[in-house]
Parts: sequence; structure tokens; C-alpha cells
Amino acid sequence: MGLAMTGWLAGKHIWIEGSSPAIAAACRAAGATLTSDGDLDVWVHVVAVGAAKPAHEIAHAEWRASLGAGLDRRFLGAKSFADACRARGVGGAVLFVGAPEQALGADQAAAAGALGNLTKTLGVEWARDGIRVNCILTREDGATLGNLAAYLASDYAAYVTGAVIGIALDD
Amino acid sequence: MLVTGGGSGMGLAMAKAFAQGGARVAVMGRSIERAEEGAAQIAALGARTHAMSCDVRSPEAVAQAFDEAEAVLGPVSLLANNAGANFPVLAENISPNAWAAVTRIAIDGTFLCSAEFARRRIARGEGGAIVNNSAQYIWTGFPGDAHSAAAKTAQATMTRKLAADWAPHGIRVNAVAAGFFPHADSVSGRRDDGIEPLQAMIPAGRTGSIWEFGWLSAMTCTPLFGDMTGQVIVQDGGESLRRSLMMPDFVPPRERVDGPWGWQ
Repeated sequence: MGLAMTGWLAGKHIWIEGSSPAIAAACRAAGATLTSDGDLDVWVHVVAVGAAKPAHEIAHAEWRASLGAGLDRRFLGAKSFADACRARGVGGAVLFVGAPEQALGADQAAAAGALGNLTKTLGVEWARDGIRVNCILTREDGATLGNLAAYLASDYAAYVTGAVIGIALDD
Repeated sequence: MLVTGGGSGMGLAMAKAFAQGGARVAVMGRSIERAEEGAAQIAALGARTHAMSCDVRSPEAVAQAFDEAEAVLGPVSLLANNAGANFPVLAENISPNAWAAVTRIAIDGTFLCSAEFARRRIARGEGGAIVNNSAQYIWTGFPGDAHSAAAKTAQATMTRKLAADWAPHGIRVNAVAAGFFPHADSVSGRRDDGIEPLQAMIPAGRTGSIWEFGWLSAMTCTPLFGDMTGQVIVQDGGESLRRSLMMPDFVPPRERVDGPWGWQ
């Protein structure tokens, strides 16, 4: 089928913090402008699926680095994004992307669990500001991830907030 | 594609979204008149369509309906399980017949239609996709709707297992856990004071449009989401999420007959 999301993100300025070629490609194909500068409509924060260690081999500094990227930066970044949206009097969308809770080590289990319930909480706290907050927890990094992210960033997903979504069976 | 309960409401919204995506749409309903009304709206979009009557609780009837759909429109490669009934009622007042009607249409019907669909896809050596219409209250219970609470959760939990069973055959299975999408035939859509009381209680500040539900349902079946399976996606404007540690005083279901989800 020749389905495409042409124009779904036309006019939207999206900052994809972290690396996901699939999300970047899908957002561009849907008409978004990818930028970290100026007024943003969507903030996507990606933490790549990394290596896992048994819990007793994780040094505290490594633990902190995981939680810092997988949780702290996400909260603080979302907070800044939402502040900016409110200051401009516009809505927006936040999308967190990372590995599933049980996919990696205890550091990821803690970070992703916290992130999921943070997603649900912020989705409600900012709902009346028109700011949606969703989360994709998956090992996948292909076209479906990109298209799902583009959908969640778009106005077609205007009634989706506080959702934590996987892609593959074991996500 | 084939949509059960596709003649009206959320099923019709699904059917229209699939039609917009280029699918030929078989509309199945308990009532042939309603299925035909829905099919007429789909035909008006320029899509090929066919209306059928079927009781999804009967495996023989389901097989016959698939035969009919495939004879008219060709092989069914996508399935939307929407057939269902729901009405507010105290648990102690649910008759065995009412319990059977709500649970077997949703639980047995989703299973029977999905299994019939899968057997045909597997026989052809081709994959396919299924989307199930579940509900946002599957994680919390639904006091005052015990039959639907059970039925909609069964749909969601079987979604995950059907996806696992059929992944080797390239058949994807996902569900949308839908919030309030009022329409002419829904309990919430029939209220005298309209949907405003519902809008006020939802974090997003509004009820959903059934088109939003239709689009997401159809998207899960497209190649755009070609790697997605076994997922239950909540689409409810935050409705199912807790909004405060403090909760309103608990009102037992039998004392809220006149409330915004009361029964007449």
C-alpha cells in the first residue's frame, strides 16, 4: 500500500534530543522541521538501547549516568519544554523513547519504570495546557518506531496522552 | 478487511478509516439493516463494501460470513473486532442472559472471528493484521459495568497471546483501549444533558472523536506500524489516569443511579 504520513507534521518544529535515525526520517517525511533552536512544538527525547550488566557489577557512577539520562534529564527537559509552551500560550507534545523496563539492567528497570509513571503523571498535570506526554519503550529502532513517533507527535494523536506504548511482543 | 459491529458507532468509524486507506470493507453486524446503513456510508466514500449479518458467538455463522465476504470482496487480510454491547447495570442485577450477551459477544466473538481469520491467513501462507476495540477501564475495573469490565479486559489480554501465537505466521494483533468516544448509539451519547459532564471530568478537556479512534485503529493494521504486535494502546485523553492522591468520597454504585454514568 502506498500509505504515507505526508504533511502530518507540516509546520511543526521538533527537537529530537538523542539519536534515532528512524524517528528523524519519519518526522522529516511527515513534513516536520527538525531543530533544537527557537520555538518548539514537539520535544522527543531518545535514550538508545545500551549494554546491560548484572546489578552487582554496576558502579554507582554508572547507575547515576543511566538514571540521569533515562529519567532526570527527561523530567527536566519536559519541564522546560512545557514552561516554554505555556509562556507562548500554545500546546505541545513530549515523547520519551527508550528501552523496555526489563530489557537491560537494574538501572534501566528503575529508570524506565519511573519514566512510565512520570509519563502518566505529566500527561494529566499538563493536559489542560494542551501538552501531551507519551512514551515508547521498545527494543525496535526501525520504521515502525519512526512512524509511531511521528503519529504521536502529530495532531492525529490529539486524544492520546499519558500512554506508554511498546512495539514488539516482548517490549 | 472485515469489521464486526461495523454498521454504526465506533465500528463504522473504524470501517471508514480503513476505507480511507484504500481497503475494501466487509461490514458485519447482528442486524443486516444497520450493517447496510453503514456500508452505504462507506460506499459513499468510494470504497467497495459489502454488508452482512452475523452472530459472532457462533463459529459456524462466523465461518459463513467470512466465506461470503471473501466471495464478494476477495481474501480478508485485515480484521477489526468491534462487536460488543454495553449498558450500565448493578452487578446484582445482571441476569445470566445479560452476562452472556455482553461477555460472549466480546470475548467469544473476538476469539472466534480472530481464529477464523488466522486459519484462513495461515492456509494461504500470508500474514495479516487484527485490531481489537478494548476500553480504558481494563486496568481499574468498572463498578457498575461488571460484564463489560470482564469482557473488555479479556479482549486486551487475549490480544497479547494471540499476537504471540500468530507472530510466526506474520499475523499482527493489537488493541486500542478506548476512552469516551460518544456517538448516537453510545450510552454517553444518549444523555439528555449531552456530553458536557463527560468533557469536564477528562484531563484533556473533551471527549474523543470517533474518527480519532478509527484512524489509530486502522493505523495499527497498516505497514506503517508493520513491526507492532501484541500492544494495547490507550487513547483516552488521560481519562483512566489518576488525577489526585485525594479521591472524591466513594459512592457505592447502587447509590449513584442518577449520576453521570447512572442507569435508567
